[in-house]
Amino acid sequence: MKPTKEQITELVSRTLIAAGSTFREDKKQAYRTAIARETNPQAKWVMETILANADAAERNQSPLCDDSGIPHTVLEIGEDVAVTGAMLDAIREGIATGLRKLPGRPMGIMGDDTQRIDQSGGLDPDSAGVAPAPFLIRKTKENVLRLHIMMFGGGPAIRAKTYRVFHKHNVDVVLNEIIDWSKEAVAQLGCSPCTLAVGVGRSHFEATAMMLEALADGCYSQQSEMERRITEAVNASNIGALGLHGDTSVLATFMKVGPQRASGVRVVCVRPCCCFEPRIATVDLLQNDSCQ
Amino acid sequence: MCIELTTPLSEEAVASLNVGDMIYLSGEIFCGRDAVLPKLSAMSQQEIRTLLGKDLQGGVMFHTAVSPAGVGPTSSNKLEIESSIAPLSAKGIKLHLGKGALHSDTVRALQQHNAVYAVIPPVTALLGQQTLAQTVAAFPELGMEALHLLKVDRYPAIIAAAKGRSIYE
Repeated sequence: MKPTKEQITELVSRTLIAAGSTFREDKKQAYRTAIARETNPQAKWVMETILANADAAERNQSPLCDDSGIPHTVLEIGEDVAVTGAMLDAIREGIATGLRKLPGRPMGIMGDDTQRIDQSGGLDPDSAGVAPAPFLIRKTKENVLRLHIMMFGGGPAIRAKTYRVFHKHNVDVVLNEIIDWSKEAVAQLGCSPCTLAVGVGRSHFEATAMMLEALADGCYSQQSEMERRITEAVNASNIGALGLHGDTSVLATFMKVGPQRASGVRVVCVRPCCCFEPRIATVDLLQNDSCQ
Repeated sequence: MCIELTTPLSEEAVASLNVGDMIYLSGEIFCGRDAVLPKLSAMSQQEIRTLLGKDLQGGVMFHTAVSPAGVGPTSSNKLEIESSIAPLSAKGIKLHLGKGALHSDTVRALQQHNAVYAVIPPVTALLGQQTLAQTVAAFPELGMEALHLLKVDRYPAIIAAAKGRSIYE
């Protein structure tokens, strides 16, 4: 059954609030595991505080972090599901409503192209002035219209990197480059332990899209061999929570490898997601499922 | 065990702090970041007293915006923020609160003024529960980046630079 505009707006609003205020259970468990094995008392204390913060944010339905983030979305469209422009507008309206209710930090910049670059147009006082990033749309075989909302903060955006890697026909070359980039980025980020989001594609756009899909699909309790190898290598660098040294710099790695071209080059995107990210929640707009 | 600190911080209390100490911070603290800290740094002691009705002696400066979403540390090693640490320490700020590693010059400047730097986890929801009051202290035209004054109860933090040493060494 096609949902009404009002139903979509309400569901999306609730999903955005959940994304900005809630850790999924697998993330909570990843923190509990990291806390149990941490040997640095300061790092252990930081992670305990981060987990207590998640409990408080979930209870209050309030932001996990004052940088409440820029909404990024992945929309999965089932085989026989029709999506109209009006439905996309309803999703945007739900995002705006959710940002006002959370409330998100009012950090949208007003003005023309020049003013938005140099910030001379001033700040929009409305939390909903933070426009979502362009939607990423993909097909699924399930009969759903599933929306993932992720809230991306500024720190990881500063330290993320998308660049070419000459692979020399050896996967180790690419993985070692990812590990080197990640060590540098996690050390600079400050808000660790991180979740590393990695995409590999044929262009900068595709690599970034793969990175976003990796976050939408990722699960802390299910790690591939490549994901585990990256996580363990970065953790061996002893950066630790908040950069204070310790055993856990990275909770997990979420990686997606897209189609590749016959070439000596792979384009790799690495985003060192902060201790709260991916700040994700998911809803099926057809089934009226509750947010998860 | 955590050390309880209440503002204004005495010279003795600050001198007793060491890298790695875990603290709970209570009392009134200032909040500012990229936009307001260079303005405050450029002012004389007299101008600050005129602006705020008091001086900065024994004060704490939390590197954060204050918005409807709450408070949380921004990176203290951003140019406009880190360059404020030495001049504001000279004017009486005893504890700078933020996140990220500082340059060695800044760590030495803190030592010179018997001041310290602490990192605070970005735990906005918890900090919201432990914020008792907030007012705009100066430069209201800067909105969420104005100089704010918070009254807080037991903000958690870790001493990251003191006595010329850094936890990031």
